[in-house]
Amino acid sequence: MTEIPASIEPSLSALRAAFPARFEAAPTEQALRDENAKILGKKGELTAILSQMRTVPPEARKAIGEQVNALKQAVEAAFEARLRSLARAKREQDLSAPPFDLTLPGRPPAPAGHPHPISIVRDEIVDVLVSLGFAVHDGPEVELEENNFTKLGFPPDHPATDMQDSFWVDVAGAPPGERRTLLRTHTSNVQIRAMTTHAPPMAFIAPGPTYRRDDDATHSPMFHQIECFLIDRHVTMANLKGVLAEFAERFFGAGTPVRLRPSYFPFVEPGAEVDVGCPFCKQPNGTRAGCSVCKRTGWIEILGCGMIHPVVFESCGIDPEQWTGFAFGMGIERVAMVRYGIPDLRLLFENDPRFLAQF
Amino acid sequence: MKASLRWLRELCPQLPDDAAALAARLTAAGLEVEGTEAFGAGTEACVVARVVSARPHPSRDGLRLVVVDRGGREQEVVCGAPNVPDPGGLVVLAPLGAHLPAKGMTIERRTIAGTVSEGMLCSEAELGLGDDGSGLLVLPAGVAAPGAALTHALPGARDTIFEIGLTPNRPDGLGHLGLAREAAALFEVPFPPPSPTRGADATDGGEKHVSVSIEDAERCPHYGFAVLVGARIAPSPLAVRWRLSSLGVRPISNVVDVTNLVMLELGHPMHAFDLARVRGGKIVVRRARAGEAMRTLDGVDRTLHDDDLVICDGEGPVALAGVMGGGDSEISASTTRVLLECAYFDPRGIRRAARRHGLHTESSHRFERGVDWGDTRHALERAASLVSTLAGATLAGRTHLEEARSLSRASVTLRCERVGALLGAEVSRSDVGAILGRLGFERQGARDGADTWLAPSFRPDVSRPVDLVEEVARVRGFDAIPATLPAIRPSRDAAPRASLARRARAAGVSMGLSEAISSAFVSRPDLHAVGAPAPAVSLRNPMSEEQSVMRTSLLPGLLRVLGHARRHGEGGVRVFSVGALFLASAGSLPDERLAFAALLAGERPAWLTKPQPVDVWDAKGLLEGLVQRMLHREDTVRLVSAAAPPPPAFHPRGAASVEVDGKVVGSLGPLHPDVADAFELGDGPVMVVQLDLDALDAVGARPVRFAPLPRFPASARDLAVVVRDGVPGGDVERAVREAAGELAEQVALFDRFVGGGVPAGHASLALHVVYRAPDRTLTDAEVDARHAEVVAAVQKRFGATLRA
Repeated sequence: MTEIPASIEPSLSALRAAFPARFEAAPTEQALRDENAKILGKKGELTAILSQMRTVPPEARKAIGEQVNALKQAVEAAFEARLRSLARAKREQDLSAPPFDLTLPGRPPAPAGHPHPISIVRDEIVDVLVSLGFAVHDGPEVELEENNFTKLGFPPDHPATDMQDSFWVDVAGAPPGERRTLLRTHTSNVQIRAMTTHAPPMAFIAPGPTYRRDDDATHSPMFHQIECFLIDRHVTMANLKGVLAEFAERFFGAGTPVRLRPSYFPFVEPGAEVDVGCPFCKQPNGTRAGCSVCKRTGWIEILGCGMIHPVVFESCGIDPEQWTGFAFGMGIERVAMVRYGIPDLRLLFENDPRFLAQF
Repeated sequence: MKASLRWLRELCPQLPDDAAALAARLTAAGLEVEGTEAFGAGTEACVVARVVSARPHPSRDGLRLVVVDRGGREQEVVCGAPNVPDPGGLVVLAPLGAHLPAKGMTIERRTIAGTVSEGMLCSEAELGLGDDGSGLLVLPAGVAAPGAALTHALPGARDTIFEIGLTPNRPDGLGHLGLAREAAALFEVPFPPPSPTRGADATDGGEKHVSVSIEDAERCPHYGFAVLVGARIAPSPLAVRWRLSSLGVRPISNVVDVTNLVMLELGHPMHAFDLARVRGGKIVVRRARAGEAMRTLDGVDRTLHDDDLVICDGEGPVALAGVMGGGDSEISASTTRVLLECAYFDPRGIRRAARRHGLHTESSHRFERGVDWGDTRHALERAASLVSTLAGATLAGRTHLEEARSLSRASVTLRCERVGALLGAEVSRSDVGAILGRLGFERQGARDGADTWLAPSFRPDVSRPVDLVEEVARVRGFDAIPATLPAIRPSRDAAPRASLARRARAAGVSMGLSEAISSAFVSRPDLHAVGAPAPAVSLRNPMSEEQSVMRTSLLPGLLRVLGHARRHGEGGVRVFSVGALFLASAGSLPDERLAFAALLAGERPAWLTKPQPVDVWDAKGLLEGLVQRMLHREDTVRLVSAAAPPPPAFHPRGAASVEVDGKVVGSLGPLHPDVADAFELGDGPVMVVQLDLDALDAVGARPVRFAPLPRFPASARDLAVVVRDGVPGGDVERAVREAAGELAEQVALFDRFVGGGVPAGHASLALHVVYRAPDRTLTDAEVDARHAEVVAAVQKRFGATLRA
């Protein structure tokens, strides 16, 4: 066995003996890394020891080299172990630190926006009817008398127009003449618009603002309606009931009953008003107990409907012997008030932030 | 229309006495019973009492102690009425425990001025039988024995009154006869046709008293009249008074009450003239001359229009035909000769006249819906008979009916399969026939599966086959129609506006705004205050000046919303509206442009730190977010400082017009403080964003296309430069982007700092630049070199100094 020079052996032994304690003593990752660098770095102790290799006789170098490598590996292993243990200790410290104060308010990702309840309800109604096969049709809010009344079969100077007290308007720059204009009193003008631009069959809905000269707890001069009409070869009143029943089922919930009461609107015949079972006093067995919302009747009126009057077809150039159709028009405010239990129509138009934030 | 159950059953005794059943059946057939009320509910416990004696109260003026016989026993009652009848007179006693709903009181033992009273003698008003509360209700002698229940002695004191919401197509329901006929058809019970009792035999002919000529046959096809002589004007009997009261009509005098009774019974308005005051003994029905004057019964002097139809005597108008009588010819206490008028006027003309004069009377209400022209003579005879009975008058001759134009009943042919085809329910021809027959239609002929029906004169609403289908449907009940979902052949959406509005709403909500729906009616000054275009649509009959034109800007509506919120202590307002603006166009209708507007006010949301008020960069961020959500073109948003002078709605320091992809689509900025004052908004900044959605839509959404994800790492460098205050941050950012060239994946200005070590009049801007190449990993040297060029460029261009 070759003799190892006395200057290297003690140094190696000393380092071998000392490094575990030195690593253990390092309190932080940085201190550990510093200590590691002192030993293994370019100017570190092991490098310094190696620099004495030239003093070692060549035959002994192999053995020394093996020792140095073994030491180097031991140091590296100890460093890694100590590093892990420090990381673990840090993790333990983090995990055992005092808990977060979860009673502090939550931080919203962004301020929440709220659609108006009228919009929510309108979009829902639209979606239900679209899913049943209807397409959406626009119509103007300022309308010619002929599209709002005349072609819908409102006789001139007839009390039927009292049902829809109108806002008559002057349009700046309109050519002078006998064409009277008004704010549409219902979305039924879209029936005329569609029938004079499309050939049947057609299946449309038309949501939008409408205007009548009324202002009290249950009427606003501006309100919203949605029109729905189907024209085809053999449309029947049974079809109207079928669509209404399906709508009630999907919009108001399974098992919602629908009732038609005969009524009168000049542009439909037979005409009806439609009630749905009150959603507020529904009993587990499906009956209605009666409550303040439905005025103890168990029913809530939501719309007017009927079979499109032949006079409407005739005024739009459609042959009523060939085509029949139904139409209904629903007040969106009314449905929104029922849906959300809103007691006063005026709340819908004050747009108080505390109101809007509820939807 | 109010209807008496008792009267309906007098006209058709086989109708059920069950008010709820009757109401339900009428409602199910389209005559909606909206309410039911008890008339004379307070009379239930009351008894007929005979005055035995009366003496003044010992200590209290105005009170008397009245001893009454209430059937086998006498009782002393304290009474304050001025008209206690002499002994023997009959009055009404409300005994202890009687409840009088009209006064909301229950009779209790009371001590009045030291005297115990165990009951009350009642007035009509206290019993809920009429308006008269001036004295005791004194019953006619011999009506009943003392102690009899009042409702037994006078059954008319008790009734059930329906409030029926009649649709305008059913004038036949405006009389009890028509309602009874309808109810009989619905309950399938026989309906006895009424048979008027003729008055006393004629003395002389009515034509000796008055001559009638119709000058406008178009407007007055029929004019019937009757003359009654020897009338004694007096109050009507109690039963008549109570019946009128129960139906909301004030009793006046026997003759006038008769005209009202007949109107309520037959639905046919009538008018009674004092013949002594019909000058010249003649009646002329003609159009008024423009500017002609008359005073109507309500005491109003009216200037007539040449479209008004008037009833004239020898000298001038005495009634506005079918609407209201004249004040000079009305029945008075001294009237002895009565002219009863019962006519058929053209509905449309009556409606025009009534609206022109702002009058809506029981008469015009019926005429404009169309009264039963076939019933004129019957109505006259009925009225003449009643006047004879109630006022002791004698019919002079007979009733007269002038027919200037003949009217005819509608003849309608109905193919039977039409019923089933429209309803979607099988109805047999015999069922159709039975229903129409019960409703008063007469079958004229039948051929090849089609029946021809003659409509009764009281159904002016029926003229087409579909009208008959409706009759069948409503009498059978809509419950008899099945519910069958149709197979719908699809249409294509024709609603660019509805879908655009929906997208805009969704974008607004996703940006943390709440939707406000405010009125489209605004005032001219409000539009002027925000610098909106002058209104193009003005209302002829607005609810108020504040709501007299249609908006050309959404801003006034939103500012009102903010004002309301602030007045209620809600300062944090983030709202938007989507709706049409009504702008001038070349055609008959305005240009309805879809617009979006948003307001930000109050504080920006913050978390556990001092919140800051919103500023114009919130508005800018909102705008960019909206454009991103709607068009995916946020990178093309440009704010162009508004030209001088800036739009009046905005604070001049922050006003900008908004361009997307080079097209102007809206405006943005802080609200001008003067505008805030005009809308009384108080202090605090308000940010506004306005978008023309149609213009935005015209720019169009950029199609979304996938971009490959980067494969090589990025290197980031920051840079802080100090520039003069006037240097726009956006220019620095753009300069950095240009200098960094194609290697700059992202340039972001992330800090602006003023004060501290930064010299006065200068600001420190910090930018973050991310360098990346698509095809290789950039070396540090490469990035450092490019970044150095960026620094140099910024220094050179803005005279900026690098900040340590």
